[in-house]
Amino acid sequence: MAAAKGADGPVDVIIVGSGAAGGMAAHVLTKAGVRCLILEAGRDYDPQAEVNMFAPESDAPLRGTGTPDKPFGYFDATVDGGWQVEGEPYTMTEGSDFRWYRPRMLGGRTNHWGRHVPRFGAYDFKPFSRDGLGADWPIGYDDVAPFYDRVERMIGVNGGKLGLENHPDSPPGCLMPPPKPRVPEMLITAAAESLGIPVRAAHTAVLTRDMPDKVAPRSACFNATPCTRGCTIGAMFQTTTSLLPMAKATGRLRVVTDAMVSRVVMGARGRAAGVEYVDRKTGQRHQVKARAVVLAAGTGETARLLLNSGEAGRGLANSSGELGRNLTDSTGASFRAFIPGLAGRPRYNEDGIGGQHIYIPFWQYEQQKRGELDFARGYHFEIGGRFGVPAEAALPRVWGKDLKQAVRNASGATIGLTLRGEMIPNKDTFCEIDPNVKDKFGIPVLRFAFRWSKHEVNQVAHGRRAAHAVFKRLNGTILDPDLPPEQIMTAGGEIIHELGTARMGADPKSSVVDSYGQTWDVDNVVLMDGATFASGPHKNPTLTILALALRASERLATRLSSGALA
Amino acid sequence: MTFTRRTTLQWLATATALSLANRGVAAAAAPQATGAPPSFKVVDWPASIAPMPAAPGYGRDPDLTAPKVPWPLTLTKPQRATVDMLGDMILPADAASPGAGTLGVGAFIDEWISAPYPQQQDDRGKIIAGLTWLDAQSRVLHGGAFTAATAAQRATLLDALTVETPSAAMAQPVAFMDRLRNLFVLGFYSLPEGKADMGYIGDQPTEGPYPGPTPEAQAHFAALLTTLKLPPLPSPSQA
Repeated sequence: MAAAKGADGPVDVIIVGSGAAGGMAAHVLTKAGVRCLILEAGRDYDPQAEVNMFAPESDAPLRGTGTPDKPFGYFDATVDGGWQVEGEPYTMTEGSDFRWYRPRMLGGRTNHWGRHVPRFGAYDFKPFSRDGLGADWPIGYDDVAPFYDRVERMIGVNGGKLGLENHPDSPPGCLMPPPKPRVPEMLITAAAESLGIPVRAAHTAVLTRDMPDKVAPRSACFNATPCTRGCTIGAMFQTTTSLLPMAKATGRLRVVTDAMVSRVVMGARGRAAGVEYVDRKTGQRHQVKARAVVLAAGTGETARLLLNSGEAGRGLANSSGELGRNLTDSTGASFRAFIPGLAGRPRYNEDGIGGQHIYIPFWQYEQQKRGELDFARGYHFEIGGRFGVPAEAALPRVWGKDLKQAVRNASGATIGLTLRGEMIPNKDTFCEIDPNVKDKFGIPVLRFAFRWSKHEVNQVAHGRRAAHAVFKRLNGTILDPDLPPEQIMTAGGEIIHELGTARMGADPKSSVVDSYGQTWDVDNVVLMDGATFASGPHKNPTLTILALALRASERLATRLSSGALA
Repeated sequence: MTFTRRTTLQWLATATALSLANRGVAAAAAPQATGAPPSFKVVDWPASIAPMPAAPGYGRDPDLTAPKVPWPLTLTKPQRATVDMLGDMILPADAASPGAGTLGVGAFIDEWISAPYPQQQDDRGKIIAGLTWLDAQSRVLHGGAFTAATAAQRATLLDALTVETPSAAMAQPVAFMDRLRNLFVLGFYSLPEGKADMGYIGDQPTEGPYPGPTPEAQAHFAALLTTLKLPPLPSPSQA
């Protein structure tokens, strides 16, 4: 997607980033008649030209196995980025282990994301009121619900009825029908439900029906190929096949890629005048001006940008001192078992719509309220188990014809439950500017501090007991190492759900932005990404990022047209 | 390739017969070195393996539509011959598929251990040392390289390399064979021949809603619920 020609004129809004939040902002604002400029730090990217959907893994080096160059596999859609970016380091405080994933491409993380899109529930927006930890959001479920409804219809979500406490159902007309479950998923359903653990059709941002559109028509999933490679038929939601082309078709969007924004530039009357960016190809610095600046660069980069702007040592929009603080990621842990009853089971096509068709939502709210759990907040399990090359751990140490037979038996006989849980913000987890390190453009880099608290550790231990109870009910052989929970948890950042570094609130003294992402200190700087989250529920964040960006963009469009930002 | 009900029933029967005792052991970081020693005197594990010359990776932004391996292969001819022979022993030809060595999976092993990435270089140390050890052990026992030994002699060595609980002296040789065997599994079953052997069905677009399990798979599932004394699911699906 090249920059639109003849669009070099003045712009109303600069949008930093082109992922879920930036894509939504561009779509909503251009539709409202606002002229936008997207500055994307990564390179230009066109899924139609670059995605290799059908090649078998055996076509790729190392059978497609992930490497430091391509951490999620050779064909994964992430290009030119990942856990490390050349010449753009980040640092950590001593004793911290934090991984920062930076895609550096048009469309950002939406090109290869997980597509699991549960809604946050009423409890999730008022966590402090419920358990006295963290902070409440300045808005509740009812404020966000209409935007969830619209986002689900805009991006295309399939799913079923939940009917569970703190897991809101979508009104009729929002969801496409979910796919049928596969045999291992049905088996987990039977075992889990018999233990009082609910299993439901997941909400997934993959079309199960065609979604016509004049500019960016998208097709229903054809039940093949791994979604994380990207989707040339548009079945999976990614901004590069939907919101960005739609915004460009208005003629009011200009996109500049390889534009690494270094700081917000201030103008008169305490307002931002625009931003400064570095052309990653030439190293040249440019300044662009606009009436408002939308930051949608991702939780880490958005915080970094503000910390590197304004007053030296304090940053911009940081009168609360909360900028960079309250960082969270989801907890992660994986549990696996070999199920003898599934060995050698009848073959059929289990590709389905890519990832899980069903999942286990958190189900212990009552027990938690009664004080029976040793952790606050919740988690869910994503469900795995399909035909394919069996996991090493599922194969006995044999050779010859016994090994061939063992592979036939074990293919499709391993099931997995992957935990994703809420992390509560703690004072030892944050990001700040490292005073000693700059990237290759001369921009000071982030330094991360990270620590799990006992809530997260106990939560993972609880999850392991639950997962193992399900496996045992199926006479499964548990394949997990017997280690303390601290040692089976993912590192901070590894789940790529980092949130909270410029949280929203009702009080300027304890928050960075209001519920519309508008910074308390600079009224024409609006944040729209995960940085604004007041808490990081276990429910995957992208649907809520999109809903809040839609809400914030419409508010910004109104302010622009009403003259509030004249 | 489709599988008859008879074939899958046969697999089911074999599955229950196969011992699960050592399942999972193979994935452990290092084998438990508390078992009985083999019937022969174990030669020493090679002291050190020369590091590989620097080689290029494919980078963070390779052309995904034209994948290629940019690093040179590094196994010597005799090493590659040993790997190919081991491939045909570890995953031998049978009615369902060819042997892994004959199918050329040895080239994948070479590609893997020649790749300039940390995991692959770690495996390289294990596998080059293992191949060196295998020839040394073979020379002591049979007066020649592993490839020159008889089928029975080679089988005895492979048995010793796949014991459930190795002795201390066999811990590293067994860890070498664990790694090589798992690489052969990955390399072989990701090829069309290996997928066909597993009866894998997929990688093909299906228009319309996902069809879900076949009647045969549904019947197997229903029988499994009965075996496990689990109630049937309320409707055809949670959907």
